Amino acid sequence: MAFRVRPLSRRSTLAALALAAVLPFGAAQAQVGDLRIIAPAAPGGGWDQTARSMQQALQADKLATNVQVMNVPGAGGTIGLAQFVNGSKGDPNALIVGGYVMVGAIITNKSPVDLSQVTPIARLTGEYEAIAVPAASPLKTAADLVAALKADPQKVSWAGGSAGGTDHITAGLIAKAVGVDPTRINYIAFSGGGESLASILGGKVTAGISSLSEYVAQAKAGKLRILAVSSAGRLPEAPEVPTFKESGIDVEIQNWRMVAAAPGITDVQKATLTETIDKMAASKTWQDILAAKGWANTYLSGPAFQAQLAKDIAATQVILKEVGLSQ
Amino acid sequence: MESFAALAQGVMVALQPANLLFAFVGVMLGTAVGVLPGIGPALTVALLLPITFKLDPAGSLIMFAGIYYGGMYGGSTASILLNTPGESSSIVTALEGNKMARAGRGGPALATAAIGSFVAGTIATLGLALIAPTVVDIAISFGPEDYFALMVLAFCTVSAAFGSSVTRGLTSLFIGLTLGLIGIDLQSGQARLSFGIPDLLDGVEVTTLAVALFAIGETLSVAAAGARADEIIEPVKGSVFMNREDWKRSWKPWLRGTVLGFPIGAMPAGGAEIPTFLSYALEKRLCRKPEEFGNGAIEGVAGPEAANNAAAAGVLVPLLTLGLPTSATAAIMLAGFQQYGLNPGPLLFATAPDLVWGLIASLFIANAMLLILNLPLVGIWVRLLAIPRPWLYAGILVFATLGTLGANPSLVELGMLVAFGLLGYVLRRYDYPIAPVVVGLILGPLAEQQLRRALAISVGDPLTLFQSPVALVLLALAALALFGPLLFKLITGHRAPVGADED
Amino acid sequence: MSETSASPSGPDKARLAIAAALGGVAAVVGWDAWRLSNVAAHSAVGPAAFPTLIAVGLALLAIANAVEAMRGIDEARPRDELKPMAWVLGGLLGQIALLPFAGFSIATGWLFAATARGFGRGPLWAHILAGTVLSFVIYILFAKGLQLSLPAGPLERLI
Repeated sequence: MAFRVRPLSRRSTLAALALAAVLPFGAAQAQVGDLRIIAPAAPGGGWDQTARSMQQALQADKLATNVQVMNVPGAGGTIGLAQFVNGSKGDPNALIVGGYVMVGAIITNKSPVDLSQVTPIARLTGEYEAIAVPAASPLKTAADLVAALKADPQKVSWAGGSAGGTDHITAGLIAKAVGVDPTRINYIAFSGGGESLASILGGKVTAGISSLSEYVAQAKAGKLRILAVSSAGRLPEAPEVPTFKESGIDVEIQNWRMVAAAPGITDVQKATLTETIDKMAASKTWQDILAAKGWANTYLSGPAFQAQLAKDIAATQVILKEVGLSQ
Repeated sequence: MESFAALAQGVMVALQPANLLFAFVGVMLGTAVGVLPGIGPALTVALLLPITFKLDPAGSLIMFAGIYYGGMYGGSTASILLNTPGESSSIVTALEGNKMARAGRGGPALATAAIGSFVAGTIATLGLALIAPTVVDIAISFGPEDYFALMVLAFCTVSAAFGSSVTRGLTSLFIGLTLGLIGIDLQSGQARLSFGIPDLLDGVEVTTLAVALFAIGETLSVAAAGARADEIIEPVKGSVFMNREDWKRSWKPWLRGTVLGFPIGAMPAGGAEIPTFLSYALEKRLCRKPEEFGNGAIEGVAGPEAANNAAAAGVLVPLLTLGLPTSATAAIMLAGFQQYGLNPGPLLFATAPDLVWGLIASLFIANAMLLILNLPLVGIWVRLLAIPRPWLYAGILVFATLGTLGANPSLVELGMLVAFGLLGYVLRRYDYPIAPVVVGLILGPLAEQQLRRALAISVGDPLTLFQSPVALVLLALAALALFGPLLFKLITGHRAPVGADED
Repeated sequence: MSETSASPSGPDKARLAIAAALGGVAAVVGWDAWRLSNVAAHSAVGPAAFPTLIAVGLALLAIANAVEAMRGIDEARPRDELKPMAWVLGGLLGQIALLPFAGFSIATGWLFAATARGFGRGPLWAHILAGTVLSFVIYILFAKGLQLSLPAGPLERLI
C-alpha cells in the first residue's frame, strides 16, 4: 500500500458509493438479476469490505441489479461457510466471500464443511507477508535471521496474528524451509495489528511477521526494517525489499480473498457467474476501489484458480500438522 | 506554538456554517445508532462511514468525528436509561447511572456523563495535540509484563470495590473468568470449553453478556417481583439538571477519570475498559458517602464516563503518531483515512498536517456540538422512563435483542442472551453481585494472554515479570489496594471505610 | 461478611444448589484443562494452565458457598411470581423459534407482546400488532439506512 492521492479515481469511487447508497435495492431485472453475497465476517472487516465493494461495482456497472450483503460472522468464516453450504445448494444467485484465512480455519476448527463443497469462482485480491525487525536490531538481512533461528529457535520471538493464521503458517513454512523444527518456533500471537506492531517498535520481540502493508509506512519512517517479502517477485510498494526466495528461503505465500458460488450449480450457471465476476474485475469501478483501498489486484479465475486453491489447501494441511495445530 | 496556529486554522475551517451542519448531522446519526446495545462506536462508524465519502475531506472528517463522539454518547445514554450498555466501555456507567435514573435522577446522570465526556474529551484532545509524541514513546515501551501488572492492579482494585461478601464477589468473578476461557486460545489455537459448537469458538461477546446480565436479568427480576415491585418509576425527582451538590461531586471525578483514561487509552494494549474500572474503584474509595455506591452515586457515573472519553482520545495518539490502530474503532478510522488516499504512519503529521489538525479540530467541534445538542435533550430523554412499565420493559427487550441481532444475526447468540439473562436473574435473586462477572470476562483473557506472552518472550523465566520498573510500581500499587485497608486497620485500630453492597 | 445469625430454618437450599452447580462447572473446566494438557504445547505456559487455576478456584468457591449455606438463610427472600417470568421467557424463546421462518418483525412483535403481557396490561393481540409494526419500522431503518440485514420473513419480503 503506497501513499496514493488520486483525486480522479477517488471522485469516481465516491460517485459509486453515492449511487450504491441511493439505490440499494433496485427492482428491475438485469443480466444476473438478484445476487446475495454472504460476508462470513462482522461489518467493517476485510471480507465484509470485499463483499460490499463487489456490491458497489456490480450495481454501478449494472452487472446485477439487486445485490444484497449478509454478514454471518464467526470462527474464521467457517460459520458463514457452513450456513452457505447447507442453505444455498443449487442456488445460482448466491455467492460467498472468503480467503486464505478460511483455509486454515477449516482445518484448525475441524469444520464439518470445507471449500471442496463450494464452487470457487475467482481470486479477487491478495496481500503478501513480510518479516520486519526493529530498526535497532542487529539482524540486517533475512540470512541473519535464519542464522539466529538455526542457532536457537526459542530465542527468536515472532510477533504476528492469532495462532494458526496466515502469519503463523508463514513462520512455520520459513522454519521448515531452512531446516528448523516448525514446532519449536517461539511464536507470540497478538489479537490486533496495532498491538503486534507496537511490540516490534518497542523492541519486545525479535521479529514481526504480517502483511507487508502493515510495515511499509513504518519502514519509510526508519522505525523498522523489512527483511523479506513472500511474493514471487519484488513489489512496487517496497522495491528495495528482497523476496524470501532471493534470500534463500523457499517460501512463497499470498493471503488472498476470493469469491465462490453455491454447491450443486450447473456448468452453465457457473459460466455465467464467472463471466459476471470477470466483467466486474475488469470494470473501472472495481479498479478504482482496489486503488482507493490499497488492495493488490491478483485476479485469477477459472481452472487456474481452482488448481492454485487445491495447491494452497494441500500445503496448508501439511504445515498446520507440522506446527502442531492439527492432527 | 506552531501546533496552536495549525489547530486554530483547523478550528476556523470547522466553524464554517456548512461544516457545522455536518457536525450536527454526524452527532445526531451517531447518537441514534450508538444507542443500540451491541452496536458500539466502532460499528457505528463502520456503518455510517459511506455517508461521509460524499463530502469533501474537511466536511467528511467533521461528520466522522461527530459520528464517533455521538456513537460513544449514545452508548452511555442507553446504559443510564435502559441498563443496556452499548459497548464494553460504558458497562460501568450502567452500574450507578441506571440506579440514578430509577431514582428519578436520570437527568443529572445524563448531564454529568455529557459534561464529563466533554471535559475529558477536550483535555484529552488537547493532550493529543500537544504531547502526543512524548506519550507515545512511553506507551510503546510497555511490554507484556507491564500490561500483566496493569491487569493485576485492575483485578485487585476492582475486587476490593465490588460487594461486601468476599465469597459472593469472588464467585461472580470466577463465573466471568470461566466464561472468558470459552473459545479459541489465541496463543495455541486450541479450542477451550467449546464442546464442538462452532459459534462458541469466538468466545463470549462482552456486550452480549453485559446486556443479558443487566437488561434481561433485571427485566426477569422485576417481572418475578410482580405486584411487589409495582412502584412507578418517576422520571424526574427534584431538578432535571445537576444541582450545586452534583457539580461539587462531579468535577473531581471528571478530572481524575481523564488522568486515568488518556494514558491508558494511549497504550497499544490499554483499551477503554480498564480505565473505567479503575476510575469506578478509585471514586468509590475517595467518595465521602461510599454507601451511596450501588444505589446511584453520581461519582460512579462522572468518573468512568470521563475515563472512557479520555481513553477514546488516547487511542488516537498511537494512531496519528505511529499509524498503529490499537482498537476496533481505530482500525475503522484507518480505513476511513485510506479513503482520502493517505496512510497513517509515523510521517502523517509531516506529510498531511492539514488533515491531522483538521481532524483534531473536528474532534473539538464535535465534542462541543454533542454537549450543546444533548443538554437540552436530557429532559426529553428521561421522559422515556415515563412510558408505562409493560411497554418500557418490552421495549428494553426488543432493543437488547435488536443490538445483538444487528451485530451478529445468529440464533446461538440470541440463545446465549437468554441463558445469561437467566444467570443474571439467579445472581440477583441470591444476592451475588453482577459486575464482577463482566469484569472477569474482560480482564481474565487479557491477563492470561499478556502473562503468556511475557513468559514466552523470556523463554519461561518468571523473573521477567518483576524486572521492569513500571511493572514493579504497578504491582506495588496492586498490593496496596489489596492490603491497604488491612494495614490501615492495623495502624489506626479502626476499620477502613469500605463501601456498601453493590447490588 | 453479612452472615451473622444462623436462622432456625436449616441450611439455605438455594445456595447449596449454587454451590453444587459451581462444583459441576469446576469439574467441566478441570476436565477440559486435562484434555488440553495432553495437547503438545511448546510454550512455557500452555493453554491448560489458566483453566486449571480457574477450576481449582471454582472448586474452592463451591466449598465456601456450601459452608455459608449450611449456616442458614441470612435474609428471608420474598416469593417470586412465576407467571410473569414465564411470559417474559416465553417471549424470548418464542422470538428465537419464530425468527428463522417468520422473520424479524413478527418474531420481535411476539417478544414485545409477551413481555408487555408479563407486566400485566391489555390484550395480547393488540400488543402483537403494535410490536410487529414497531419492529417492521426498525427493520426498514436497518435494511435501508444501515445496510444491515436482519432475518427476513414474509413481511420483510414485501419491501
